Amino acid sequence: MIRVGVVGYGTIGQVHCEALQEVPGCQLVAVADVDPEARARAQRDYGVVAAESMEAMLDAAEVDLIDICVPTHLHEAMMVQAMEADKHIFCEKPLARSLEEGRRLVELAKGYRKKIGIGHVVRFTPAYRGIRRSVEQGEVGRIGVVRTFRGGSQFPEGWQDWFANFNLSGGVILDLMIHDLDYCRWLFGDVERVYAKSTCGRTEVRLEHAMAVLRFKSGVIAHLEASWTNYPGQFYTAVEVAGKDGLITFDSRKSSPLAAMTVPGVSAQAGAVAANPYALELQDMVEAITEDRQPLVTVEDAFGALEIALAAVESARTGRVVEI
Amino acid sequence: MVVRIGFLSIAHLHAHSYGRAINGLTGCRLVGIYDPDQERGMQGAKEMGTEYFADPAELLSQTDAVIICSENSRHREFTELAAKHGCHVLCEKPIATTLEDARAMIDACARAGVKLQIAFPVRFVTPVLRVKEMLDSGAVGKVLAIVGTNQGQMPGGWFADPELAGGGAVMDHTVHVVDLIRWFLGKEFVSVYAEVDNMLWDTGIDDCGMLSMELEDGTIVTQDPSWSRPMTFPTWGNVTMRIIGTQGMIDLDAFAQNFVVYDDAHRKVSERSFAEDMDLGLIQDFIQMIVEDREPTITGYDGLKALEVALAAYRSAQEKKPVALG
Ligand SMILES: NC(=O)c1ccc[n+]([C@@H]2O[C@H](COP(=O)([O-])OP(=O)(O)OC[C@H]3O[C@@H](n4cnc5c(N)ncnc54)[C@H](O)[C@@H]3O)[C@@H](O)[C@H]2O)c1
Repeated sequence: MIRVGVVGYGTIGQVHCEALQEVPGCQLVAVADVDPEARARAQRDYGVVAAESMEAMLDAAEVDLIDICVPTHLHEAMMVQAMEADKHIFCEKPLARSLEEGRRLVELAKGYRKKIGIGHVVRFTPAYRGIRRSVEQGEVGRIGVVRTFRGGSQFPEGWQDWFANFNLSGGVILDLMIHDLDYCRWLFGDVERVYAKSTCGRTEVRLEHAMAVLRFKSGVIAHLEASWTNYPGQFYTAVEVAGKDGLITFDSRKSSPLAAMTVPGVSAQAGAVAANPYALELQDMVEAITEDRQPLVTVEDAFGALEIALAAVESARTGRVVEI
Repeated sequence: MVVRIGFLSIAHLHAHSYGRAINGLTGCRLVGIYDPDQERGMQGAKEMGTEYFADPAELLSQTDAVIICSENSRHREFTELAAKHGCHVLCEKPIATTLEDARAMIDACARAGVKLQIAFPVRFVTPVLRVKEMLDSGAVGKVLAIVGTNQGQMPGGWFADPELAGGGAVMDHTVHVVDLIRWFLGKEFVSVYAEVDNMLWDTGIDDCGMLSMELEDGTIVTQDPSWSRPMTFPTWGNVTMRIIGTQGMIDLDAFAQNFVVYDDAHRKVSERSFAEDMDLGLIQDFIQMIVEDREPTITGYDGLKALEVALAAYRSAQEKKPVALG
């Protein structure tokens, strides 16, 4: 039984804790959060140890796997700390806030005896896995142009509004677009150059819309779009892959098998009911530990995505093409 | 006044739709068709219920205006010919394949005192007109970003011949969206970056493209002109635009007013439009311009500015860096 401690019980920490309940072979034993309200919530939700820091959590509970769900700028320090404690590590994407931090983690991970996995959850999303299988099987032939979209919901609210601080979050490219950057890299290999645009720095309004054009070494041309809105919108994702022999399209808004309206009031629910990708990614992590293998997304994989994301951020800032 | 109209070449298939529009309108009359390809010309004349002229000068002596639906690289010679005969011109897009030709066409028409309009019919699509109204009324505040697509199936024929078309997908499908954006916002494009390649069809001409651009006011724009719709796609393609403003967002899918037909006999699924005919709007506007003797809604200069962006995209792809526009 792998004993799991989750650090950071915010938006995604709560999602992880819930998902862990579905994962065989593991048990949530502790949570750490600097925020007393978050700790109280964790205690109420799961009746587990709720400590005020990772250190205190490790003092209070026996933990095999540390699941890091704190804001992005803290990932590197937390992972280093977790490595010092000699634990298996699962960390939310992006790997880190900067290239230097990312490089340090790649170096440290090389000689590390325990397992480290990074939460590029899109690789575990049933639709995106299926699309990858179609591409790999050559169903649409050699790939030419690819488009992805991710966003449509309101600018995220986080702990001390850290998402709005570009130095902490890296904006919509590092936080959101990186999902599709990792996915595209998984499908099409290394990127040669990046040219990106973002509304970041062009408006005072609380929104960010970014578009990146990638050229892969394989020749594939991709357009990635990510958006945080300033109105209450609906989150959705879309992808299309055009090849020599056909086209694959997916739009999460069009694959929702359920809708319900109830009385009194007007309420509608719709959405995919396929397997929970967060449970799948954590299950892969737990199995990596028990089977003594690498998890699907390694530190090096996550560094690859980080590199492109930061190149896109730089391109958007300078207006120049960035070669990888 | 009945405006007498002729076609100078019907190499572009849109000619048929324009012909139907003319035949359906009062206030204008289709006089005939000249086409260097006699067989095509005669066939077209039969289908549109009009006459074939073997001599363009003879046709031009009987018309007030012409519609030029030749291959792109021949727009100039036909426009100059029409201008010489004092005929107004509606020219299929793109205006030409070089800026030099485009300027020559504008000059020739100006000197002859005839009007030159470029066929960007998407400006007459009802949902597109709605978007223009919404933007003008400030419905989404100041526009910050636009993500456009004009993806399509590979049109084949002379469209895949660089000599005649002047380029592939990027030449074919950049100008519509660029024209709409210039019209929507009244701002010019100042920089263009593009990735362009031939990866989807065995034509040797570009079929994959991605443009990333900026307007003079800092609005960021991307446009996908790829011929990336396969033969099994239920329709020819699309014109879409996502417009992000400080006060909201507009998602436009200009040709989404369809029903779907599943046809077992031909093993084909197809979308059928129930929208108003944009070509009718374009022709109506062209006729009105002549009758009222006013400036064209879409000028030669508009055509030139859209072409400038498409040509810059090719240059950018070659140089692998953004290209500045004057
Ligand atoms: N994979 C996904 O789909 C997904 C979704 C959302 C967020 N994320 C990623 O997860 C991370 C967290 O995002 P979020 O939306 O949950 O943020 P959040 O602000 O909602 O939650 C962060 C939590 O961390 C706590 N915290 C801050 N500093 C801490 C510390 N030193 N020790 C312990 N706890 C601390 C905060 O109190 C807060 O409860 C980010 O890196 C983000 O990019 C991933």
